[in-house]
Amino acid sequence: MNTTPVLKGAFISDPEPALVGSRCRSCETVAFPPSFTCPNPRCFQKDVISATLSRTGRLASWTTVHFPPPPPFVAPDPFEPITVVEVEFASEGIQVVGPLAQASVDQLRMGMPMETVVEPYYRGEDGEVIGWKFRPLEGV
Amino acid sequence: MTEVMVAGVGLHPWGKFPHKSWVEMGAEVALEAVKDAGMEWTDVEAMVSGAMQWGGSTGMRSGNTISAALGETGIPIANINNACASGGSLMRAAYAMITSGMHETVLVIGADKSPKGYFPSVPVLADEPHPPVDMVRWQVGIPNPAYWALEMRKRMEAYGSTEEHLAKVKVKNSRHGSLNPYARYRKAFTIEQVLASPMVCDPLRLLEICATSDGAAAVLLVSGAKARRLGVRQPVKVAACSLASGEFGDPTIRIPLLSATSDDAATAPLLSESRLAAYVAYEQAGLGPEDMDFVELPDNSSWHELQYLETMGFCDEGEAEELLDKGATTLGGELPVCPSGGFSSFGEATMAQGILQIVEVTWQLRGTAGARQVEGAQKAITEVYGAQANNSACILTT
Repeated sequence: MNTTPVLKGAFISDPEPALVGSRCRSCETVAFPPSFTCPNPRCFQKDVISATLSRTGRLASWTTVHFPPPPPFVAPDPFEPITVVEVEFASEGIQVVGPLAQASVDQLRMGMPMETVVEPYYRGEDGEVIGWKFRPLEGV
Repeated sequence: MTEVMVAGVGLHPWGKFPHKSWVEMGAEVALEAVKDAGMEWTDVEAMVSGAMQWGGSTGMRSGNTISAALGETGIPIANINNACASGGSLMRAAYAMITSGMHETVLVIGADKSPKGYFPSVPVLADEPHPPVDMVRWQVGIPNPAYWALEMRKRMEAYGSTEEHLAKVKVKNSRHGSLNPYARYRKAFTIEQVLASPMVCDPLRLLEICATSDGAAAVLLVSGAKARRLGVRQPVKVAACSLASGEFGDPTIRIPLLSATSDDAATAPLLSESRLAAYVAYEQAGLGPEDMDFVELPDNSSWHELQYLETMGFCDEGEAEELLDKGATTLGGELPVCPSGGFSSFGEATMAQGILQIVEVTWQLRGTAGARQVEGAQKAITEVYGAQANNSACILTT
């Protein structure tokens, strides 16, 4: 089936699922989604390259959305609450939000290790829309 | 520098008005503010108006639309949109026009009708190389209150804040709102009732998140000299008007973004734009948080009220719950917060809510706020909260 990324160039599935951002070769600032420039105002080189983020991070926060968001969110019928998690990637100095995958909210603990996965978000007009999600690291 | 005074104010009741257009609501408050100053529409030298995104391209030129309804006089009109910080941004634009000597009489107006429920995205060009991040966050499924909930959970973890604290903010603001005839919601809630309301984005419940409303507010600003010539009774002085944007290294994940600097790597404070706007205003006025008799802060959610008490310098980090618990923030307490009832009682009308705060402070400083009057109020600060790190603060004094 045809799959479309929710945001082209912001994640990879091979060899392993990971977020893709940009890194400034001059000041090391990492941005997600990838930027065409460096967001550090005191960096004057602004020499950015693509950077694959660490596959695992730490759970920084979460919330469950109990009412369906409006379009372009595609809500299943009946709507199932969605849990949004915030994951901190320490070596990149960045925290990123995304949906929780393959776990229930009861399993979440502040600071627990999380890993990036790539999964379907919803069935769109041209096939499946896929994107990044986060799940508790296996074996924890 | 030229002094800036509030000569007149106008406020429309807030709610849902399906049978009245935002143009009518705007025209009504414009005339009310002008009359309150003892002037006429034709005395207005310039106008700044909230560029209302939900009204399409006509709404984006709201000032011209309202002016055309009242009769065009050829004055300069600027339409400004800074998300929920628009009202404060309009105040600062008008303030700058007067302090620069460009104009002596400037009308600040916000008239707004909001969609129901979560604020949705606004249509964008289809042929951009990348979808705007606002589209992506909706596909992921992150409504505005989810951003606030993520911060609130961190706060609970860091300071032991509880669901009862979140409910108490609403109880307090609903009591204030019950005393305000202009408020949309005038029921005073109990903690039990708030905690029984549906969870929206946990830990934030329906009654702990402001609604989306229709509303309009206007303020007529004049120079000090003009106020004296007019013989304005009880002029209220605008002692400061600031506007700030976010700083690099701020750990707040801002609506509608998908990431931020991590908490450990942060080099700027949470809500850096809001802290900056408040402190720039204090510096401009030569006053500090300890000088304020009350505050109208952006209680978009109960999290905001707790966080802004710290961001605006009224207490140290993690101490806002204590101020709430001891009753300091209620009417009659040492620092009444949102005596108007706040956005909790009014709901958001993004173009108008910052101006609503100025109207409330003006009435309070004139001593005409009725049942919700803060006794002896002489100085107050207002602050809004805008998406994508927009912020503005105003300090008004007698």
